[in-house]
Amino acid sequence: MDQAFAARRRRDLIIAAVLAGLAALAPLVIKDVYVQNILILTLMYAALSQSWNILSGYCGQISLGHALYFGIGAYTTELLFTKFGVLPWFGMLAGGVIAAIIAMGLGYPFFRLRGHYFVIATIVIAEIGLLLFQNWEWAGAAMGITVPVRGDSWLKFQFMRSKLPYFYFALVLCCLAWFVTWWLEDSKWGFWWRAVKDNPEAAESLGVVVFNSKMGAAAVSAFLVAIGGAFYAQFLAYIDPESVMGFQFSLLMALPAVLGGIGTLWGPVLGAAILIPMTELTRSYIGGSGRGVDLIVYGALIVAISLALPRGLVSLFSRSKAKGATR
Amino acid sequence: MTALLETRGVWQRFGGLVANSDVSISVGRGEIVGLIGPNGAGKSTLFNLIAGVLPPTQGSIWFDGEDVTNLPAAVRCQRGVGRTFQVVKSFETMTVIDNVIVGALVRNTVMREARRKAHEVLEFTGLAARADVLASDLVPAEKRRLEVARALATEPKLLLLDEVLTGLTPTEAQTGVALVRKVRDAGITVLMVEHVMEIVMPLVDRAIVLDLGKVLVEGKPADVVRDPKVIKAYLGDRHAVGA
Repeated sequence: MDQAFAARRRRDLIIAAVLAGLAALAPLVIKDVYVQNILILTLMYAALSQSWNILSGYCGQISLGHALYFGIGAYTTELLFTKFGVLPWFGMLAGGVIAAIIAMGLGYPFFRLRGHYFVIATIVIAEIGLLLFQNWEWAGAAMGITVPVRGDSWLKFQFMRSKLPYFYFALVLCCLAWFVTWWLEDSKWGFWWRAVKDNPEAAESLGVVVFNSKMGAAAVSAFLVAIGGAFYAQFLAYIDPESVMGFQFSLLMALPAVLGGIGTLWGPVLGAAILIPMTELTRSYIGGSGRGVDLIVYGALIVAISLALPRGLVSLFSRSKAKGATR
Repeated sequence: MTALLETRGVWQRFGGLVANSDVSISVGRGEIVGLIGPNGAGKSTLFNLIAGVLPPTQGSIWFDGEDVTNLPAAVRCQRGVGRTFQVVKSFETMTVIDNVIVGALVRNTVMREARRKAHEVLEFTGLAARADVLASDLVPAEKRRLEVARALATEPKLLLLDEVLTGLTPTEAQTGVALVRKVRDAGITVLMVEHVMEIVMPLVDRAIVLDLGKVLVEGKPADVVRDPKVIKAYLGDRHAVGA
């Protein structure tokens, strides 16, 4: 029994390593900058969704305000860089830490809310964050911040000539988020989170401090999302409130996980691999006149998934496995 | 030796409703104590007070020589109070073994140890064959058993069983009775709320009867069932006189 479990864990790790290896080789074949761009975004959203999944999937606290942490990561990095000359690498870490602290600060009152009330609170808080940044003169207000060009270097994490360094960073970030999830899945925290999601009262009776578990999940989740935000800011080389803290980011973190399978190890990656290229392609085919069509696509997908496969696309795999097990 | 559990003058009011009034009971180490009484007697409320779901309006609760009145449920579990729920609260999206691991993590921080402990408990409770089944796929009797298994995995000193034998077929109930005895033989004190008198009376060492939020009678099961006050509480005056 335990061997089967350990074997499954090992199999997941091997599949991940193989996929990561293949992805790392992809640029050898794919030279087209436009396609590379899509790959980078896909990897980034896979990482973000994986991080979102820790709080909302495993721990069951559905957040539609993670754009706040994404924006905090982006703004911390660029403010430290442009105002104080702090290297983006440190800014990235600082952004992660600040986001984690803010997530816990917000969790303190809001984790008392349940279900829909919690979701509404996360949306409202993220919108307030957006408004604050739109009006904060020192941080560039609605004009945003242009990242000064200092030439291509890993030290300054800035590349104009080639997108490949961003690609590799996004890949590493995606692997990191996946690995953290994999590791947490078979840890005390992972079990506590799933227990809290399924039945907080029973969890409490088994020694789980529900409130602390939620705080832990929020901190890890926000930290990783902020790292993603810092990356995105460097990648765009220009940020303004709407382009790093808009509501669409909260949606784009949630949807891949929902599509692929919420609260599962592979769901976010699978969901992002389908959703992100599809939306990028529809957007480019329809062009400027079609702004919003991608949103229609999301909506249609979510409706289809919730009707046909409420547990997400990964349930296709586990279903066939379960059949094999019971013959 | 002092009692393992003691409630001292415990009151619980919900608005104008008095669910428990001045309840003082004690449970000794190694006992199986039955908490019985008609519907609405305040049994479940008292259970929740002991488990730490809510603090009593007045009075104190002592466990293992310490005042635990203000400790939350999770901490009481860490101190050694395990419980089941009257309406089963399984972790439905998790497998049976994973449900039990959650409990085992209270005393085992290393995952491998927790998993080993969980398997041990499944063996003990006769659920080993169902380890990899989703909790949502269990039949009701198995779900009740899982509640017990999960609580046992926390290695409690006191196990609170809330109607674990209710709603089972006679055969299932007998297996349940055997399990409760086995639990006691493993050195765990049991306090159980139960409705089914003919099952619970032969099982318990002592019975405490609650009625209208107060302790009505307490004593040996054989004496309790003959007590006119108990018969009156359950069946009304006429029968008490007749007895």
